[in-house]
Amino acid sequence: MHEISLVRNIFKTLEAEFPDTYQNIRNIYLTAGELSNVQPILMKNAFDAVILDEPKYAKTILHVEVLPVIIYCDDCNQKTPVIQYKFICSICNKPSKNVIQGEELLISKVEFEK
Amino acid sequence: MSQPKSNKASVGSVQCENTTLNLLKANDFVAKAIKDKLLPHNILVLNVCSSPGSGKTTLMQETGKRLKNKLKLGVLVGDPETERDAIRIREAGIDCLQIVTGGMCHIEAQMILQALDHFDYKDLDILFIENVGNLVCPAAFDLGEDYRITLIATTEGDDKPKKYPRMFLTSELMVVSKSDLLPHVPFSIDAVTKDAREINPDLDVISISSLNGEGLDQWCNWLQEKVKQKKSQ
Repeated sequence: MHEISLVRNIFKTLEAEFPDTYQNIRNIYLTAGELSNVQPILMKNAFDAVILDEPKYAKTILHVEVLPVIIYCDDCNQKTPVIQYKFICSICNKPSKNVIQGEELLISKVEFEK
Repeated sequence: MSQPKSNKASVGSVQCENTTLNLLKANDFVAKAIKDKLLPHNILVLNVCSSPGSGKTTLMQETGKRLKNKLKLGVLVGDPETERDAIRIREAGIDCLQIVTGGMCHIEAQMILQALDHFDYKDLDILFIENVGNLVCPAAFDLGEDYRITLIATTEGDDKPKKYPRMFLTSELMVVSKSDLLPHVPFSIDAVTKDAREINPDLDVISISSLNGEGLDQWCNWLQEKVKQKKSQ
């Protein structure tokens, strides 16, 4: 959706979290739930465009992992995947909107050059 | 930074940090500030979303006509440009402030927080936030609302919920608008309800026509019931 501003958000977030060391970051791992509407290829294009203006990130690579939607069924006490946006338990078919994975938009890992 | 998010571990020649840094944290933080600001006043906050042209503003006008003597209503209306919607809503006798997003496709919490500085909200029963017409991006931005309401017009096609699942997943109520056109368009309320409830089984559904008034009593009852619940919290 807003890839350029998300990339800028990534940089702002990392600069706030690692004020002394962010310039050594070489790999950024982004975890995006399927419901976050983030498309990996568009994120990477936006990243490449933004680092043209941010040379301090020129050696940094963005990795994007998309996580499928998973719901939790209270009756079965089971996690089950959501297929084709049907939010029903795959075991008992009971509807559940208890989404435990799929809405996140997180920086899950960063790697620094030593 | 408040939460412990770092879990230092060395991997090969690189230093590795596992984190849970949330990219929408800034918005969620401001959304919480909005909730805190409104909490002492017991205001029901409703985030009204839909595609462009599905009748959000017209529904605001009709709601004003029917409820303005029973409830104190206010509207913050977002559009990429112009004050046109705010003018229409004020004509119906409701306090309204236009949020011009400057081309942006959704309202962010910061815009609401700033708007509240210029809007007399303290005595309101309901604060409507009429979001920018868009079923994708607004779904990701919490505005501190109690409930999200999604309108879908009968002219849009009944296959919308599965195309825009996050919006319907996070809504409390789906309002099917322009029901006066049902005889003329290939739209099934049963089909759209079935699709939407496969995503969100708890979704309420009300079908309305702002033109002929059908369903508006049910809509107003829904609002009054939610106001009552809010006041008794």
